[in-house]
Amino acid sequence: MPRRCTLIPMLMIIVLPFLLTFSLPARAPGDTLRKTPFAQIQEQARGTQVRWYMFGGWAHVNSWVDTYVAKEMKKRHDIDLVRVPMDAGVFINKLLNEKAAGRKTGSIDLLWINGENFKNAREADLLFGPFAGSLPNVQKYVDPDSITHDFGFPVAGYEAPFGRAQFVFEYDTARIQDPPKTIAELKAWIMAHPGSFTYPQPPDFTGSAFIRHVFYAVTGGHEQYMAGWDPDLFAQKAPLLWDWLNEIAPFLWQKGQTYPKDSAFLDTLFSRGEAAFSMSYHPPHAQNLILQKAYPETVKTFVLDDGSIFNTHFTAIPFNAPNKAGAMVLADFLISVDAQLSKYIPENWGDFPALDMDRLSAQEKSRFQAVDLGSATLQPGQLAAVAVPEIPAAYLEALEQGWKEHVLDK
Amino acid sequence: MKHTVTLLFLVLFFAVPAGVLVLISLAPGWRFPDVWPAAFSFSGIAFFLQQKEQILSSLASSFVFSLLTVGVTFFMCLVPAAVFARNDFTGKAVLEGLLLTPALVPPMTFAMGLHYFFIKLSVADTLPGVVLILAIFSYPYMFRALVAGFQAMGEHYRICARNLGAGPFLILWQVELPLLMPAVVAGGSVVFLVAFSEYFLVFLMGGGRVASFTGMLMPLLASSNRSLAAVLTLIFLLLPVGLFFILDLSVMRSFRKKGMA
Amino acid sequence: MSWTNNRSGRLVSGLAPLLLPYLVLFCGGVMLTICQSFGVFTPLPHAGAAFDAYAKILTDPAFFTSFWFSLGVAMVSAFCAVAAGAFLAYRVWQLPAKLANAALIYKIPLILPHISVAFVVLVFWSPSGILASMAHSLGFIQTMQDFPNILYSGWGLGMVLAYTLKGTPFAMLLVLALLVRFDVRQIQTAAMLGASGVRIFFSIVLPRMAPAMHTSFIILFLYGFGAFDIPFVLGESRPGMLSIHVYNLYFKHDLARRPEAMAILTMMFFFAVIFIIAYSKIVQRLDNGVRKL
Repeated sequence: MPRRCTLIPMLMIIVLPFLLTFSLPARAPGDTLRKTPFAQIQEQARGTQVRWYMFGGWAHVNSWVDTYVAKEMKKRHDIDLVRVPMDAGVFINKLLNEKAAGRKTGSIDLLWINGENFKNAREADLLFGPFAGSLPNVQKYVDPDSITHDFGFPVAGYEAPFGRAQFVFEYDTARIQDPPKTIAELKAWIMAHPGSFTYPQPPDFTGSAFIRHVFYAVTGGHEQYMAGWDPDLFAQKAPLLWDWLNEIAPFLWQKGQTYPKDSAFLDTLFSRGEAAFSMSYHPPHAQNLILQKAYPETVKTFVLDDGSIFNTHFTAIPFNAPNKAGAMVLADFLISVDAQLSKYIPENWGDFPALDMDRLSAQEKSRFQAVDLGSATLQPGQLAAVAVPEIPAAYLEALEQGWKEHVLDK
Repeated sequence: MKHTVTLLFLVLFFAVPAGVLVLISLAPGWRFPDVWPAAFSFSGIAFFLQQKEQILSSLASSFVFSLLTVGVTFFMCLVPAAVFARNDFTGKAVLEGLLLTPALVPPMTFAMGLHYFFIKLSVADTLPGVVLILAIFSYPYMFRALVAGFQAMGEHYRICARNLGAGPFLILWQVELPLLMPAVVAGGSVVFLVAFSEYFLVFLMGGGRVASFTGMLMPLLASSNRSLAAVLTLIFLLLPVGLFFILDLSVMRSFRKKGMA
Repeated sequence: MSWTNNRSGRLVSGLAPLLLPYLVLFCGGVMLTICQSFGVFTPLPHAGAAFDAYAKILTDPAFFTSFWFSLGVAMVSAFCAVAAGAFLAYRVWQLPAKLANAALIYKIPLILPHISVAFVVLVFWSPSGILASMAHSLGFIQTMQDFPNILYSGWGLGMVLAYTLKGTPFAMLLVLALLVRFDVRQIQTAAMLGASGVRIFFSIVLPRMAPAMHTSFIILFLYGFGAFDIPFVLGESRPGMLSIHVYNLYFKHDLARRPEAMAILTMMFFFAVIFIIAYSKIVQRLDNGVRKL
């Protein structure tokens, strides 16, 4: 009697997973895509689903993707966009896993990526491409010279530009009248106001960028690193950075015992008054949070005279993306004039366009000029005056590793 | 007096946090040192409405894999629980201890070992993969509840039904299962809650492909707009409460109908 | 002879729906973790010797800090949760029937997922949180820097608070399930014989609740020791919980460090098993001792 009773549940347990995996949708061939005309790719992508894996720690960015981008993709291309929040390091690891396990079709269609993650992905051959050159909006609006390198690593068409970021500090004029103007003044300020400064724990993007600013400032500028990875130079210069960071550590929030996990956490500390400064890769970020009522209206932004790092961030397609055509259509839409404009508006996000303004028509240009960046945002001229490029990715990784070893675990 | 203190304590520690979440959801700009929010706004709610499709679909996904987990654990445990409740054999205590370990040892220890092989077998990033890993982690709660249920029921009903000529399947379906219902509901609720509130295992095995409400909530917890996180947490609270309320009501009603309660 | 065969055959086939997934997924999963810790079946071919990962971990002082830290956080929070849970369960059990329904609010944190409970702790206990605001308005502190450093003290108090808040109702649930079958007349008799409330609690009620308390302690302790959700929200930069350590090794590095992550998991698994066995043995011995008295 029991034999008959057990058979059914047993079968269900064993058979269920296999039944469901075989019913996955058929895949589009990837290799022929590069030669296919874009109109045909758009046709092929119609009615499909695109899964975009991206950093999910910024609520306003998530909301922009879920509302504006998802609606427009549906309307224009009949594509269902699914945003999946995942840290860049984690999805690179996921792809490495899938590559090692020999999975030809994965689950990620598009990635939001740059810097060391792009370098790691390229080095492990995890990306499909080159594809950026075949996107019409890249051909039409993007200056090819502006996207040759990403943190010193050649892009070679394996990622499509998505936006431009530049680092700013945020402060509340109701509490501080005269923010520091240089890294040296910042240090003096921190020492004079114990407990009210901190930075996100690297490898968070923003925290990692903060220590790179200090690195440039205390080791004599960025130019020396642009030639590429030089271990001797790093070994010689890095101790200056560790010393600087360790000297301020006792004067940091929570005495430097602990650091905010990510920039959103620092924003929270700042908005609740625990930290005197916040920092962001997006100059209109403060304005966005003011509009959301998370920051008081008295918040303003500033940059240090030592320099403010800018970079371009990108989208890329994994080698085993199930819907490469859809991913290309999405990547192309993201670099379109409409999407870049919507992204630029501080209410939506406030990320700078990656377009070449000289390639736009007068009318398109005026749409960008009409955007009100708000009173908290610096003028493009102020930002351009101090802009400095990103360090090659190998330095970035060494700095993040070294920070853990020489500052956190010291 | 004594009872008032007890209740006050329970309210303070278990209900007040929920109340504060309601306040936060209505006051995104609530800052130190205000004990009561200086201003209320519906921007948290508006944010929720703006993203309701994504939120609701992740809620639905969580609901589906949690219910499937309950179903799978039920089928896994039903017959073994009956065997366990009705037989004595050497090594039974040891076997019971072994069978309960998946709920005790950290789930990471077997889930991460399985992960790479789930990828190879194309089970990772699928609903069955998530359900399987949740089921193996949570079945001990169902198993214990069912064993207790079978023990409480005794053998009389089964023997009586058999003497009346019912086959084993009929006995199970018509006689034992209705009597077992309270145990199924008890074990099922725990399994449901465990599955519904799990973040890590779903993140690991779902790989973002299987959406979950906890996965939706996680990035919002640290964000400077706490209202949305508070709104989602409240939904989290209300949904299972609603579900259990309905379940409780319907189970009780069907029992009353049969004159058993 | 054939009778025994038939019977054990029936037993095995009856238990099969459970034994099969148990052996394949659970035992198989643990075996795979162990194999990968030795560099067998890893995504990348393992270059070094079998025990390389263990050697690396066991020479790293950060691992031991993490281990003792996880142990401490889990121990303290499980103890607090079981103690509070048992006491509250006893008080709730004494409530008159009319009030018993109101007491059901204790199940709220039981329903909330761990990450939401962590969020609640953050909202209440951060230096700019609700308790700090209250302390300020009562005049205890002037600025938020005066508020005692709870969440980031380096002692994991935030995690202890969250695990305790989540664990207390769990312990209550298990203890109440036992108390329901407890005869109230035992207490009445003791009271009539002149026993004090404290004496009654410790001599009569507590032994009765003990099995549920032991069970909940084992479950809560091991959960706190190995879980990921709460440390991910409330963890401090250092020392980190073991689960966060494993997460970082598994997800934030290239695949070459996979055996290290698996070696930590293997040690966590054996620690958990040894803990369960040792704990039950000790409880058994204590029980026997009590009975002999």
